[in-house]
Amino acid sequence: MGKQKTVTTSSGQPIRKKPLSIRMWNSRGYYLMFLPVFIYVLIVYYWPMLGVRYAFYDYSLKNFEFIGLDNFKEMFATKDFWRAFFNTLQLSVIKLLITTFASVIISVFLNEMGNMVAKKTLQTVIYLPHFMSWAVVAAIFTLFLSKSSSGFVNETLKSWGVIEKSIDFMHSKAWWRPIYYMVNVWKETGWGTVIFLATLSGINPELYEAADIDGASRMQKIWNVTVPALANTILIVLILNLAKVMNLFESVFVMYNTRVYKVADVISTYIYREGFMTALPNYGYTTAVGLFKSLVGCVLVLVCNFASKKVRGRGII
Amino acid sequence: MEKTAYKKPKKKIRVFDVVNYLIFIIIGLIVMIPIWKVLVGSFSAVGVYQFKLWPTQPTVDGYLTIFTTKKLLRPFINSVVTTVIGMLLGLVMSTLGGYVLCQEDMPGRNLFSYFLLFTMIFSGGMIPEYLVMKQLGLVNSMWILVVKHGMNVYNLVLMRNFFEGIPGSLYEAARIDGCSPMGIFFKIVLPLSKAALASIGLMYAVTVWNDYSTVQIYITDRDQVNFQYILRVMVMDGDTPTTAYKVSQDTLYYAGIVCAILPFMLLYPFLQNYFVKGVNVGAVKE
Repeated sequence: MGKQKTVTTSSGQPIRKKPLSIRMWNSRGYYLMFLPVFIYVLIVYYWPMLGVRYAFYDYSLKNFEFIGLDNFKEMFATKDFWRAFFNTLQLSVIKLLITTFASVIISVFLNEMGNMVAKKTLQTVIYLPHFMSWAVVAAIFTLFLSKSSSGFVNETLKSWGVIEKSIDFMHSKAWWRPIYYMVNVWKETGWGTVIFLATLSGINPELYEAADIDGASRMQKIWNVTVPALANTILIVLILNLAKVMNLFESVFVMYNTRVYKVADVISTYIYREGFMTALPNYGYTTAVGLFKSLVGCVLVLVCNFASKKVRGRGII
Repeated sequence: MEKTAYKKPKKKIRVFDVVNYLIFIIIGLIVMIPIWKVLVGSFSAVGVYQFKLWPTQPTVDGYLTIFTTKKLLRPFINSVVTTVIGMLLGLVMSTLGGYVLCQEDMPGRNLFSYFLLFTMIFSGGMIPEYLVMKQLGLVNSMWILVVKHGMNVYNLVLMRNFFEGIPGSLYEAARIDGCSPMGIFFKIVLPLSKAALASIGLMYAVTVWNDYSTVQIYITDRDQVNFQYILRVMVMDGDTPTTAYKVSQDTLYYAGIVCAILPFMLLYPFLQNYFVKGVNVGAVKE
């Protein structure tokens, strides 16, 4: 039978596969359709990957010279780099935990709403902020929190007598992180409920009926039926997002400023400043920082992929 | 029969429901108050700090200023153009890729998958990307927005998942009738995928419209920036690109914010289901 291989289907019937060359010829239409995608991905994603070699070069306007691991040595000896690294981890993880927790609570109680019109309206409202850009959200909250005489929050608090002098929230090291988390909760919590509500709608109503017959109270039903049903989804959401921990960029980028670098600077903003905001950018050094970020991100994705396979039987990639 | 015989107990429901509705009214207000204040502010001639339900000294000068000042109108048009083209390119790429990836008897299918999935694990990083785009002549050009968001592997995978849900017998029948792969794609697959196309198209559109950091990194020419960028420059850096101070600054800022969210806010109530579908296709596909 020459090159032909025998493959069996799940029902045990043998299938004769045609030779590879014929199958490839038959698929020529598909290859043609894949060509634009192939070229696009090659240029936009793979070409920059070749650029990671600059991490081992001294690459500035005047210089282009191989220096081995010197960039990494410099990086690990730089205080600002470590600050950015730990800020990235802290901001991402705390943000993730807070918004997920808030989403879960809101979905659980939204699920208890009997009135469908009220429920739908509320869903429409709380999903809204997700579709605003970070630039817009930052603009709104900067205006609200500003120290000027039209600053909503400061003036309101003053008129209530809570504070005497305006607080410069966005430029304060003590306030920046709480504000950052709050803005994140405002923007993303509502959208975070989508996935939990989808899970909740799949709960078998008989479970609630059984609980009713056993005389369970509303809170008991929530605690013993609703919350356990969400456990798996919560885990999945956490895993999926842990993989993206290192990617923190735009949300910080639009809200931070020179005065709060200590609590707000993250890896990506650090790369941005070193690469674009200095008079003599060293592309070698910044590429090295970027490579470090990519590698940590890569490990996180693989670990989370493994965890995801354990939890739900399929990976995240 | 059992269901009709079963009666819901009425005890204690009252208190719980009242508290529940109250909490959700508060949550709704927390979300709506900032948005409403921005909306009211954009129509008020004077900026006041208090929360007002309706504009004080109603005016539309804020919007007029934006749409008559060339330096503000140009970014708005750039945003519209890049969003539409970026969305179309994204749709073409992800439907083509997604369709090819679900062809089971195509040799090299796994290879193609790994080729795409690897980009989700590893990337060149900000600086090498910048250097490549520089070589392509995309620095200081608004088309960087289209190129950068022209395809997202995650969306492509969503598209593939959707196509896999189309019954294989349909493809088979079309093939037997002598339909080419292209023909099947255009005559059978696309018409069946309108909902998926809408969700994915919207995701691309939102991404391109809302992008600020790409512009900040790649573009310095004020003729090429998008609206998010100009809004940011205006509000955060106080760099108002207009000399005609017909309106108070706050009015202009708030009008700018409204313009930056308007397109999606207008479409959103009608398209909400498509957005939600997009998330659930990817996440809870069981």
